[in-house]
Amino acid sequence: MAIISICRGTKSGGQALAECLAEHLGYPILGREILQVTAADLGVSEQDLTRQFERAPKLWDRQGALRRVYVVAVQAALAEHVVAGNLVYHGLAGQFLLRGLPAVLRTRLIAPVELRVRVLMETEGMARDAAKRHIRDVDAARARWVKMMHGERIEDPALYDVVINLTNGSIPAACAVVTKAVQQPEFTVTNDVKTALENFRLACRVKLALVTAPDTRGLPLEVEAASGVVEISGSAPLLSSGETGDRIAQIARSVKGVREMRLKVQWFDPYP
Amino acid sequence: MPIITISRGTMSGGRAVAECLAERLHCPCVGREVLQQAAESLGASEETVRGKLQTPPGPWDTVTKERHIYVVAVQAALAGQCVTGTLVYHGLAGQLLLRGLPGVLRVRLIAPMALRIQSLVGHHPHTSQEAAERYIRKVDRQRRRWVRAMYGAEVGDTLLYDLTINLRAISLDTACVMVTEMAQQPHYEVTDAVRAQLVAFAATCRQRLDAIVAVRR
Repeated sequence: MAIISICRGTKSGGQALAECLAEHLGYPILGREILQVTAADLGVSEQDLTRQFERAPKLWDRQGALRRVYVVAVQAALAEHVVAGNLVYHGLAGQFLLRGLPAVLRTRLIAPVELRVRVLMETEGMARDAAKRHIRDVDAARARWVKMMHGERIEDPALYDVVINLTNGSIPAACAVVTKAVQQPEFTVTNDVKTALENFRLACRVKLALVTAPDTRGLPLEVEAASGVVEISGSAPLLSSGETGDRIAQIARSVKGVREMRLKVQWFDPYP
Repeated sequence: MPIITISRGTMSGGRAVAECLAERLHCPCVGREVLQQAAESLGASEETVRGKLQTPPGPWDTVTKERHIYVVAVQAALAGQCVTGTLVYHGLAGQLLLRGLPGVLRVRLIAPMALRIQSLVGHHPHTSQEAAERYIRKVDRQRRRWVRAMYGAEVGDTLLYDLTINLRAISLDTACVMVTEMAQQPHYEVTDAVRAQLVAFAATCRQRLDAIVAVRR
């Protein structure tokens, strides 16, 4: 059992690889449908949510609270799926949303532009120039998103465990290599790994509760969880009423699975 | 079994993976032997050839094209080893020296800096962490500049390789298993037609080297 995240450029064969892996390994598969479910939960349109994931933030939106809500919501939805310990995820930003988790094989699939253009022309009936332009635009927007949100280059191989190039390879070959990799000891879902995944889910649930609550949604708070104990760090304004701290604690404690809450927030004076 | 080239930064576990592959696939494993052979053919020392393949060319090289001679010699030596159609090469610039050839699986190994420093300090216990990092960064920079100057490519460009494996979470054994699996895929099968191309490539490389050696004499 393991979790596989697949990152790729548009029309690089990511979905076909995900389907092949799910079939070979008997794992559930999850792709962009996670956006539909999350959008419904948040009461926004799927297009709005997708745009927040695919388009780079505008200058006036670089600290955008709304974008943070969407990203946290998708991460929380994904955490509910990964907790089982076996999943093939081929939706957006898996390499970031699952960063730092054990037993996750972060895969990137790359293919030359010419190959991707051909696929787009065949599947969507697009003209060559239009297909080329589409691929270039989508790639550029995703690269900008990653740069803005995480300060990284999307093509940096250090972000992934394995990068497979389809210039000479094929989807069945990529599928065979990834299948073999996740059967190795470092991707075994042990009890410790299961605990880490459960902790991740709880932290995501608390984070989601905080970013969707009107009193705390704009606060840059980080959450870590360990066996029901939740630690919240970050910074928040110190109001004379002392309400913010109480509210954070109240929201965190209301989340199912939280036994204890520790607040390690740096308070600052909003009216110096 | 195909020819496997392993490219990696210094102290990224390339030799260990190469040896593991050679054992699993029952094929020869070469690295510095190619440099020795190239040095012999040019009547130069192995150190000279290594230096020409590691340090970036200066302005004088672009005038004399001297660097090119060493690359041709190394390519000819490597091509000669490839004619059997089964080889693991963990020496320098394999992905570029055998560019465009069929039956070649080009692998790149990367590892986080901390792991590479640990490996270097493990091999040379009197080296400090800072000195180890400085050395690794210097070698990386030189290789980057060499590849850019000689081939106009970026050594870290994942499109130059069929498979890039990050040893952050993947062990050397797992990397070996993954490459073995890829090597067994139909695309990398060395058929008679592929072998004929490898032989023709070796002959062409040999001719180019002979011509250079004749001019030097």
